[in-house]
Amino acid sequence: MSAPQGVNRAALIGVAAGVVMLLVTTLTVHATVQSARERLVTAAQPSKIAVAANAEEAYCTPRFKEVLERVLHSCGLAEGEARRGCKPADVKTFASISGQDFNELFTPLRKRGAVVLFDTGKEDLDEGALKILEDRWLDRKGARYFFVVGRASKTGNVETNRALSHRRANSIQFHIKEKFSDPELEKRVGLLWLGNEFAQLDKDFCTWETSRQGTKCDDESINRSAFVSWVDCRL
Amino acid sequence: MTYPDDGQMPSPLRKPAILGGVASILGLTFAAYSSADYAAHLDRRLHDVHCSLVPGLTTGADEENPCRAAMYSAYSALFRGSYWGGIPISLFALGAFSFFLGFAVYLFFAGAHASRKALWFFAATAATPFAVSLVMFTISITKIGSLCKTCVGIYLSSSLLLIAAILVFRAANGIYGQPSPRPAGAWGPPVLWILALGASTLIPSFVYAAAVPDERPFLSKCGKLEKTVEPHNALLHLKTSHSVRPTILFEDPLCPTCRAFHQRLIAEGAYDRLDIQLSLFPLDSECNWMLTAPLHPGACTISKAVICGGEQARAVLEWAYDQQDDLVKVAKAGDADLRRVIGKRWGTAVVGCLDSAATKQKLNQQLHFAADNGIPVSTPQMYLGDRKVCDEDTDLGLRYTLTQLAPEVVP
Repeated sequence: MSAPQGVNRAALIGVAAGVVMLLVTTLTVHATVQSARERLVTAAQPSKIAVAANAEEAYCTPRFKEVLERVLHSCGLAEGEARRGCKPADVKTFASISGQDFNELFTPLRKRGAVVLFDTGKEDLDEGALKILEDRWLDRKGARYFFVVGRASKTGNVETNRALSHRRANSIQFHIKEKFSDPELEKRVGLLWLGNEFAQLDKDFCTWETSRQGTKCDDESINRSAFVSWVDCRL
Repeated sequence: MTYPDDGQMPSPLRKPAILGGVASILGLTFAAYSSADYAAHLDRRLHDVHCSLVPGLTTGADEENPCRAAMYSAYSALFRGSYWGGIPISLFALGAFSFFLGFAVYLFFAGAHASRKALWFFAATAATPFAVSLVMFTISITKIGSLCKTCVGIYLSSSLLLIAAILVFRAANGIYGQPSPRPAGAWGPPVLWILALGASTLIPSFVYAAAVPDERPFLSKCGKLEKTVEPHNALLHLKTSHSVRPTILFEDPLCPTCRAFHQRLIAEGAYDRLDIQLSLFPLDSECNWMLTAPLHPGACTISKAVICGGEQARAVLEWAYDQQDDLVKVAKAGDADLRRVIGKRWGTAVVGCLDSAATKQKLNQQLHFAADNGIPVSTPQMYLGDRKVCDEDTDLGLRYTLTQLAPEVVP
């Protein structure tokens, strides 16, 4: 083979090799892009990623949530409601539950909540009450609603006790409002006041965390109180 | 035994031509895998990527994978503002290695008949992939901070091609001072070859660019924030030099993806043009009730340190990103050790602030901001105003997405 022929043959082989490789790789890339384009227009699998939400603890049983929801909506705790709070007759009606069952629903909140105790006929918050209230308020975690359930002991008549338990619940709410200036307070805090008519506490609740640890506690004094707790349920 | 040059004696071109061919095939293989990985992601989904010196081996979908980090970086593609993901530079390598393979085959068969100009041309141009590799290697080390094995495969191929180029250069200049008997050659072919090299280098890119799907319809389909204002003013306003676009970022200081995203935003020159409200979202069950177990232990403590940084919140966050690997190790040893590290860097005042009621409350309010908006439990997340930047647009398509949705933040 002559020199020019050899060079020409080498050039042809070289060009062929280069072109073939260029074609193969370019077509492969093109096919990959086309494939991606086709997948792009077909619906992707729905994302299984969790969505951020308020907490939902194990104690949020259907029954608990049902009662809570009724109370929330009926007592104006749901967002946008003008009405604030629920008096005993309302709670009895809306909760559709006995007082004992109502209290039992709240027993899982033993560690989460606290009982703020008051003097007889008073609604003033003492030092212990302020501390336990502020501690509980700041320990929100993932909860959405903060419940305040005011009560009164048997001392006094029904009307007086109803008003007293209302003032106790209010004094809790006012303090939180003053101390924390939370613009969302109205949407978070649910007020119930039960006087001494509904869902009275028995002395077993003396073993819960109260604002007056170490002082005498009985069936009467435990009801001169307001139970406060965040509720970790999605409603 | 016969040889392709004249059938009489071994050609000094034979070994360098074979070496050049092998180097080109290797380079082609690595560049093809890299390009295919890039192209596969055009469907906006997550895929495994090839990341091995053994061509074809894939690795997982984690962002810590250096090949994924390189792919997501601002240095892996050109024209990223014009095409979603840009035009990967590996495509240019595909074309160039194809050309050098063809030329090496030509030299192998032409042997002693190949002109000196052909040899000089090969020697000069076959060194260019090495020069590019050197630049990319430097960028990998200094900017990305890791070496992607597929990229290393291309660097090694380029180095082999450089050796082939040197050997060819020596063959062109004769051995032991003896001038090479080969013909000098005309000037026409080198001009054609340079044109062919240019065309070969560009063809895969043109084909790719012509086929890339239009991603614009997908950019704004990832939802919106219902509430862009945190009522307690708990979000952290990060200082940037030219804030022009309100942005809300959900980040976890110990999340590697957040670190990479932060670095990408800075590399794109976009970070300092964003008016950033930071909502910390530590994926740590110690403070985040949305998790049952800590994904990033210690993230709550570091998040509180960022809050305690006050005016220096950005500096604390960037420190956490810079030191993330070490902080993750320290956090595993215990919270006390983590606090010691924070104290050493940011002082006792910051450590003292970690447990304050105000700090805890602020972090909790930021988590509730996420819950109120029902955002996905993942980080990072970016919202331009109230519009969510899709997760798949925060990496490969970041520059394109910013160019489309917030052109004012793209330099």
